[in-house]
Amino acid sequence: MEKYIHPFIEVCENVFKEFIGMELSAERPYFIDKKDVHDWDISAVIGLTGEARGAVVISMKKNLAIKVTDMLTETKHIDIDDEVLDAIGEIINIIAGNAKRGLEEMFRLVISLPTIVRGVNHSISWPNEQARIICIPFKIMNEETFSLLLAIEATN
Amino acid sequence: MKKVLVVDDSRIMRNIVKNTFASLHIPCEFIEAGNGNEALLRLSEHRIDLVLLDWNMPQLSGIDFLKKIRAMAQYATLPVIMVTSEAARYNVIEALKSGATDYIIKPVSERSFKEKIEKINF
Repeated sequence: MEKYIHPFIEVCENVFKEFIGMELSAERPYFIDKKDVHDWDISAVIGLTGEARGAVVISMKKNLAIKVTDMLTETKHIDIDDEVLDAIGEIINIIAGNAKRGLEEMFRLVISLPTIVRGVNHSISWPNEQARIICIPFKIMNEETFSLLLAIEATN
Repeated sequence: MKKVLVVDDSRIMRNIVKNTFASLHIPCEFIEAGNGNEALLRLSEHRIDLVLLDWNMPQLSGIDFLKKIRAMAQYATLPVIMVTSEAARYNVIEALKSGATDYIIKPVSERSFKEKIEKINF
């Protein structure tokens, strides 16, 4: 699983630094269960198909989603609106698309359009029955946190 | 004034692409489209000089839009730069084989735009 995780960690750190201007640090990844309940307010999901299948998800609290959007758009947002949904969807799109480069020696992937899930204690329907879900927690400027969730398994 | 068609389903991304391109101080007018179908419409409405094209979009993707216009004689040589998060080498090769003039991987930077724009003498 480590060989799959590393490209996502590297890309996530780069994307937040280059695209949004936020320094990140990845914390120790851990496995989660499909049924686990989390307290995130918004998640953006990208499906992975091709020579592997699965999904990659970014989940965060409302305040961080708004802060990230404020930085990207240089305008102030007070709640989760269309622009916040657009920003979080674009971030996961860039993470997934760039991570494909680090995975290309293992398999060719096709990424879906992002889907946004929102609401207190929302849950994600994971496409794979067998693949384990790994959660990579990230800390931003030693303050706020978000998670990158990944489930991926080769199809052949 | 030259016209640049910015095709991306994300409005935020279209703004970022426009602002980054504008920082090159090339006088141009931006036309926008949210997917490949809208882009086809904009092409029929305006005389476009350059297309900045995302890959993953609803309805008609960037790569399918590209294949479509390259099959149309009037757009055979229209400069089209893919601006996409699809960073795998097999994606870059597919886009270039499908007729992309060049390829920029998101997140975009002023430097990457400058390099590519100079190459096509825009």
